[in-house]
Amino acid sequence: MNDTELINQILEGNMNAFTFLVNRYQKLVVHITGRLVQRQEELEDVCQEVFIKVYQNLGKYRNECKLSTWIATIAYNTSINYLRKFKKFEEVNPEDSVALRNLTDFRNENYETADLKRYVREQIELLPIQYRTVVTLFHLEEFSYQEIEQITGMPEGTVKSYLFRAKALLREKLKHIVDDNSLKLVKEISNEKG
Amino acid sequence: MRKDELTDMIEQSLGAAPEFRLQEGFAQRVTASVIRQEQWKTDLQEYFYLTAIVFGLIALLTGVYYLVDKDLLFRTLNFFVANWVVVGFLVLTLNFILFADKVLLRLLFSRRRQTN
Repeated sequence: MNDTELINQILEGNMNAFTFLVNRYQKLVVHITGRLVQRQEELEDVCQEVFIKVYQNLGKYRNECKLSTWIATIAYNTSINYLRKFKKFEEVNPEDSVALRNLTDFRNENYETADLKRYVREQIELLPIQYRTVVTLFHLEEFSYQEIEQITGMPEGTVKSYLFRAKALLREKLKHIVDDNSLKLVKEISNEKG
Repeated sequence: MRKDELTDMIEQSLGAAPEFRLQEGFAQRVTASVIRQEQWKTDLQEYFYLTAIVFGLIALLTGVYYLVDKDLLFRTLNFFVANWVVVGFLVLTLNFILFADKVLLRLLFSRRRQTN
């Protein structure tokens, strides 16, 4: 069943079609809200709110964009509103001492590949919220720049810039894995601050 | 680790799904929640329509009696004014029974069904 048929079925009152829609798009919503909200215990409530909004506004959907883009927009706005409402709009500055400490917690000498991947993922979760958003939409959900612009309201140039900076930031944070001297330097800075 | 290996790993990690999961049966729970919300709206609407119809009929009856038998109408109104506490209590009680029947009980039962 394609999206247009699915929407028509839901608008005619077929709730099984709505369950089908939720199953089809729940991964997309979980990825966006999960990356933004970052709290497993609150994730289900936010996702539920997203799908309730989808149901309530489905009649207003006009096929101007893909259904996935439209649902992603609702997921993004709901997550941002949630963070603002509960004052959880914390941004991690990668230059601060906590981020530096996170960097030095890693044992460079004895890492396993799996640990390293996990570590990189943790660093992604520590990125500032705007970076996390564009990275998730572009790399994970494979939305185009234009679609990300529609979803977040950020101009295309900003999206590209955030993507570039996010990668640069990650490379910077993980530099010590390539270069042992950088690790020593970071440890020294960390010790000075501590 | 070489620089290009690190770049590859970053690219791979950026495309990897975060470790957040929803519990089994999420779609069914959302659908049940939507059905309950829609039912609540319909029930509330029904209650308001019924209340409006009852008050409309009373107004119509008052209008008819005003034309047919003014004396009876004024006697009745005087009775209501004189016993406004009892009349008010009766009206509120009947209204609450209607509200409970049309909205509250249905909501409670649907919640209970979902919990079970």
